[in-house]
Amino acid sequence: MNPSTQDKFDSSCSSSGFEETLRLVASLSAPEGLEERVEVTLRAELRAAPRAVYGRARILHWPAALRLDHAWVRSSLARAAAAAAIAAVVIGGGWGVYSRVETSQPASFVAPLHTVPPGGFSSAGAMRTPQTLDGPLVAHPAAATSKAAPKTPAQAQLLRVRPAAAKKAVAKPAAASGSQQKGAPIIP
Amino acid sequence: MEIADKAVHDETRQHAERLCAEEEALAALVSQYAGTLYRVAYSVVRNASDAEDAVQEAFLRVLRHRDTLNEVRDQRVWLIRIVWNIVLDRKRRSKTRPETDDVSELARVLPAGGLSAEERAAAAQHHAHVLACVEQLPAKERQVLMLSAFEELTSVEIASVVGITESSVRSRLFRARNLMAGLLNHPRSLR
Repeated sequence: MNPSTQDKFDSSCSSSGFEETLRLVASLSAPEGLEERVEVTLRAELRAAPRAVYGRARILHWPAALRLDHAWVRSSLARAAAAAAIAAVVIGGGWGVYSRVETSQPASFVAPLHTVPPGGFSSAGAMRTPQTLDGPLVAHPAAATSKAAPKTPAQAQLLRVRPAAAKKAVAKPAAASGSQQKGAPIIP
Repeated sequence: MEIADKAVHDETRQHAERLCAEEEALAALVSQYAGTLYRVAYSVVRNASDAEDAVQEAFLRVLRHRDTLNEVRDQRVWLIRIVWNIVLDRKRRSKTRPETDDVSELARVLPAGGLSAEERAAAAQHHAHVLACVEQLPAKERQVLMLSAFEELTSVEIASVVGITESSVRSRLFRARNLMAGLLNHPRSLR
């Protein structure tokens, strides 16, 4: 290859000459008869399945006289008559239901009449409702004294960590009191 | 009975008229945009028959959605977007064919009017080299660069076709040009 020719293309490579190639690709002409071939395909497709496959396929096949695109549907008088008939059916049905409903029981609940004293605070219609949750249970006094419940958290922790030591601590005063009972004179 | 016959006749006539109108509208679309769609398709698939198939498929999709055709704001961009998605999908699926074949074929069919045989060979070699470099760009940058070569597409329209913002188009285009310059100046730095 001629070196000058090669240089010419090399120089176009180095700059934005590559865009020229892309532009050439983008400006390639379409093959002859492309439009005709596409149109033939589309026509065949259109005639093979006019509306059943594409777009608005009709699932319910109404009789011709009842279709929405029929002429009588378009006249305003017919549409008004149809609307009036629908409204009459709806109102009639509602009235029928309403007239059959009996108010069998009179109102047994009478709301208390709240009177607001002049210058005082009103309750704003608030009503007291009873407590539905279980309240705290009060233990029997005898049962409460029999259990040596720790009073402070420190004591509770001590018992939890060293139960044997706690037992000893409880037993010691008992023993001391026992020896005291032996040796000491009985005081009435 | 007579009324029913008349209704059926009217319906058949309306259907035929609607069919004719749709055919005319589609024919107008085909004659106006088939060439553009073919070029867009060809720039991606780089094969004449594949590009034509893509154009046919694009118009068949239009046929299927012809009820919404009136709602389309810009039919040209809409059609380009359809064919763009078709060809990208096809290219993604047909990974088996080596791309070097496409590149050499494309370099051969590119116009080289007024050049001697020697110059034509050099031009073909150059085009093949450029297209090989384009193939090595990341997909996002490559797509924007290829669409930017179409003079009839603005950056807003490219953004609409690819489905990104206009600023993204510009930044991708900038990156693509830089990468291309690097690839063409230093062929060894190809991925």
